[in-house]
Formats: sequence, C-alpha cells, structure tokens
Amino acid sequence: MTRPMNTDDTTRQALIALIPRLRRFARVLTGTIADADDVVQASLEKAMLNLDQWQPGTRLDSWLFRIARNTWVDDRRRAHNSKGHDDIGEMIDLAGDDGVAVVEASNEVQMVRAAVDRLPADQRDVVALVMLEEFSYREAADALGLPIGTVMSRLSRAKAALAKLLTAQGGIQ
Amino acid sequence: MTTTGSHVFTDAQLAAFLAGTLEDEALLDAIEAAINADPALAERTMALAAGEDHTAHAVRDAFAPVLSAPVPEHLTQIVAAPERAEVVDLAAARSARNLPKPANDTAGGWRWPQFGAMAASLLLGVMIGGPLLTGGTVGGGKGGALVLAAVEGPVTPPAVAAMLDTAPSGQSVDLASLGTGEVVLTFRNADGALCRQFMVEAGRGTSDALACAGADGGWQLEAFGRRAASAGEMKLAGGDAAISVVAAVDDMIASDALIGAAEAAQLKRK
Repeated sequence: MTRPMNTDDTTRQALIALIPRLRRFARVLTGTIADADDVVQASLEKAMLNLDQWQPGTRLDSWLFRIARNTWVDDRRRAHNSKGHDDIGEMIDLAGDDGVAVVEASNEVQMVRAAVDRLPADQRDVVALVMLEEFSYREAADALGLPIGTVMSRLSRAKAALAKLLTAQGGIQ
Repeated sequence: MTTTGSHVFTDAQLAAFLAGTLEDEALLDAIEAAINADPALAERTMALAAGEDHTAHAVRDAFAPVLSAPVPEHLTQIVAAPERAEVVDLAAARSARNLPKPANDTAGGWRWPQFGAMAASLLLGVMIGGPLLTGGTVGGGKGGALVLAAVEGPVTPPAVAAMLDTAPSGQSVDLASLGTGEVVLTFRNADGALCRQFMVEAGRGTSDALACAGADGGWQLEAFGRRAASAGEMKLAGGDAAISVVAAVDDMIASDALIGAAEAAQLKRK
C-alpha cells in the first residue's frame, strides 16, 4: 500500500522543510512576522502554481527565496508598503510558542534585529541570504539577479552600518 | 581615481571592501563597478573573503527564533499534497470486498451513495497520519490527514465514537492523539437515523465527516473530506466544511438541526 514518492511529493516535502527558512528570510525583508507570513503565503502559492518552472538539479531554496523577494518587492510597489519594524515583542511571543520561555536577557539580540531592520531594503536582501542563509556571494547574486560586485558592496555597507549601530547603541533599546 | 583593471586595487582594499571597513564611499563604488565588469577581479576578491565574522554570527542568533518557531498550519497547508490516501485505501478495501464505489468528488473527499449494503461492514476508522491499517505508510502523508480505513473489525477510535455518542454540537472535544474534534451539526435523515457532521482538527489539517447511527449502535461514515485551508478563528456551523460533506448533509438532512436539550435527548435514544 505504500505509494512510491514521485518527484512532486519530494518537491513538496522539500518546500515544507524550507518554510522556516523562508519565514526567516521574509522576516528580514519585511520587518514583521505578520508581513513575512503574508509574503511566505503568497510565495508558496506561486511556487506551487509554477512548480514545473523549477528545474530539478538547481537550488530549490534559491528559487523560492527569489520568488519571495519578488513578491515582497511587488507588494511594496503596489501598496507603498512601508510599515514599521516593531515586532520585537511579537518575535518573542513566537519563540515562546513551544512553551519554553525564551529569555532574551541580553538585549543584544533585540538590538541586532533592530539594527538589521533599520538597513535599507536592498541591503536586507543580501544580509538575509549571505549572513543568515550563508549563501556564497555568487549564489546570492544568482538568487537576487544582481551582479556579484553589487552583492559584495551592499553587504559591505550593511556590515559597516550594523557595526556602527551596534557599537554606537551600547545599551539603547 | 582610476578604476581600470584589477591591479589598481590592493588586496587590503579588497579585503576591507568585503569586511565593510572601507570608509571611502567613492572607492567602494569603484570597486563594486570594477568587480561587476571583471570576473577575474571578482574571483580575486572572493579569494580574500575572511571567514565568518562576529556580525554574521550575531545576526543569525538574532533571527534564530523565527527558524525555531512553529510554522503556522495555513502555510504548510499550501504545499501539502491534496490528501488522497484515504480514497486510495478505501478503494483498495472496496475492491477486495467487491463493494460498490462511492462517488468521489474533485475536492479530495468522497461520500457513499445512500445506504448501500456495504456500509454495514465498513466501520469508521480514523487515523491521523501514521501507517494505515494495512501496515503501509501514507505516501506523502505529511499533511496529517484524517485517514479513514475500512477494516474487518470495529476499530472506531473510542474517542471519536464517544464524541459522536455524547458531545453536544459546538463543543470542542479532545481526541487525544487524533487532535481536536467538534460536532457541528446533528440531524435525522429521511430514514430517521441520527446523523452528525463533525470535524477533526489535527496538527496540520482539518477534516470533515458525516456519520450516521447504524442499526448496530455504531457510527457509519457517510461522507468525508479535507478542507482546503485550515479552519479559521471564526467557525460557522460547517460553513466552510469540505464540499463533499456539505453536499452529503444537504442531501440527507430531513429534520431541523438538533441542538441543546433536544439534541441531548435524541442522542440518548439514537
């Protein structure tokens, strides 16, 4: 009675496994979990509709992240969407869902998120892929459709800005 | 400043470019443009990339809660394969016993034709996910489906049978490992049998079903279907239930919806 897994099933499972990473990626892009989940939802729907456009052998995660980024960019264009980045409490709630109190004792964690949230959108893309997803410059360039030097320079500026925000902030926020 | 060719930048400048420690904005732009124009310079620069830095580490820690947070069910549901396992298995069980086929609908649900003789030997078995009774595993069954299996013996999960026996409409019932159940509608069909539409919310999916009381005192399943999306906060009585189940209820309902004391009384003499 065991049904053999077909490619479609395998891809679906791979997509499901990617959802947490997709949420994190979208969270960095959008600044709030609520917006992130909207983007994730739209991205997954697009991915399912266009599953045949993903080429086996290429990275499914890159493909999905690219869809998510384009979705977010389109969203922002359509809605002139620039909500604040104020979900730090929300994130803590999220993390606490498993019943384990997540103590964000050091507000370093909050400070870092706030600092990332303050970066320009085009730097957050790169931060999400290179710092969080540990994509290589080349992989990030491919996923974002950017030249590699641009990926490097955006990350460079992001690193500089983060370093500045984090050292300057000290105990603030 | 000249930016022609990779030789004009020193390794120290390129390393600083990567590290984010280059203060000179014009130089930063120049290096970016040069790398974009010159694959060899891109290679040279990448070779200078230092390992993991503190910032990347801190950023990963900061967003780790999102990775470990439970994924909302409605997101997983988008990707989950339409669950067909129960149809596959019932079909196999039926053909093994020469039972007539129920009418399948396109929404992934099914319903039995009215009161065929086959219903008598087909008892309600409900499993979530897990192996089917035949011992196989549900292919692609990560959707946590409400899986109904035809079996020889009475395997109605006691929790489901108990809910159908006694729970009033609208009351959430803990079905232990099966999830949470709720009867959404109780009525009598044209033959006078008591029927109950119910739903089961498992970890990753909501299923609807309609069962009617059989002559043997057990519950026989008349229709079953999975919801396309998870149940929202606001639930109308079966309003967003699976199409196959709604259709079966529409066909069979021959009384007012029984609620409150009337429902409790009817349940006692089902």
